[in-house]
Amino acid sequence: MSGSANHLIEGLVEGLEPVRTLNPKRGLAIVGGLTLIAGIAVATMLGVRNDLMIGMADEMFFLRSGVLLMLGIATAITVVNMARPGVGKLSRGWIWALITAALFPLTAAIMSAINMPPAEAFRPMEGLKCLTVSGIAALAIGSGLTLWLRQGAPTSPERAGWLVGIASGALGAAAYNLHCPFNDIYYIGLWFTTTVVASAILGRLVVPRLIRW
Amino acid sequence: MIANEETFRQLMIKAQGGDKLCYSSLLVECEKWLRRYFARKINPAAIDDLVQETLISVHRKRASYDSSRAFLPWLAAIGRYRWIDSLRKIYRHEHDQLYEEMVADPQDGDVTAKVSLERLLGMIPQRQAEVISLVKIEGLSIIEAAAKTGQSESLVKVNIHRGLKKMSALIESE
Repeated sequence: MSGSANHLIEGLVEGLEPVRTLNPKRGLAIVGGLTLIAGIAVATMLGVRNDLMIGMADEMFFLRSGVLLMLGIATAITVVNMARPGVGKLSRGWIWALITAALFPLTAAIMSAINMPPAEAFRPMEGLKCLTVSGIAALAIGSGLTLWLRQGAPTSPERAGWLVGIASGALGAAAYNLHCPFNDIYYIGLWFTTTVVASAILGRLVVPRLIRW
Repeated sequence: MIANEETFRQLMIKAQGGDKLCYSSLLVECEKWLRRYFARKINPAAIDDLVQETLISVHRKRASYDSSRAFLPWLAAIGRYRWIDSLRKIYRHEHDQLYEEMVADPQDGDVTAKVSLERLLGMIPQRQAEVISLVKIEGLSIIEAAAKTGQSESLVKVNIHRGLKKMSALIESE
């Protein structure tokens, strides 16, 4: 062993403190907590959609909620596991959740190709509100997840960036979903998809530089 | 002789609890293991720096080791990450001779084979792996690598860039 390696090891040993090992459950608890807070904030400030309030929610609400939560949870689990690296641990399960979620924009695109809907069906003003509120919620969730991930050692910061963006975008949209009264596939295919895609791009651009080690 | 997987694991668990004696032994063993792990996969002139940078990462990221899992795949993931980072920084080195004592002498053969850098290089297209080996590991210039492989100079650069990017996405693959 070289002298400089010896000195380095002595220095590292000197600075050793006991550490609490990273637990992915704590990362998931942060994500879950922030999503819950975002949902409560949406319900309090904007109100819960009427059909849900009277206990007769449209089936599309449940479909949309389920897909967004599944996508958010699957990607968030992958992200928190990335904090503890190991050769042979590469997980690709989240891809299936992403493919399932892609059914919404895909169906909207096919339906539009068969029968082009009127421009009003896309509800641009309401859509921008959806994008803004979901985006704020995603920002809060993504920030918490990124801060937690900084403690770990993700070996692919770029992939982690995409996944943080997808997870926070899907969960932010799931929170806004409690208020969103629209059920048609065109609206969901455009605005909810835009929210997740925009969040994923932002995650890819911002997160890697924050978690590199 | 390098410690085996279980010894590494036990030393790391004690180190996470703050045991300095075990930590010292662990870092000494890691140093030996990494020196062999990186052998022939980086220019000899850069190996000291790479081993030391990896040891610093081991220290900084020790909380990310999950004691219910094997230690060497964790160490290898940290090593691969630092190795790719190091390859990105290397353009040309004067030394291109491999030291005999740096020839790989792996312990725990099965584990080492699964986590090896050779395997990571094997996961990317051959043309990319070839130019990364020539330029980043053996220290040839872009012009020399282009002449040797028959690829244009710009293609050599593109293949190096793409290969490193691909490998960095595959660090945790077996």
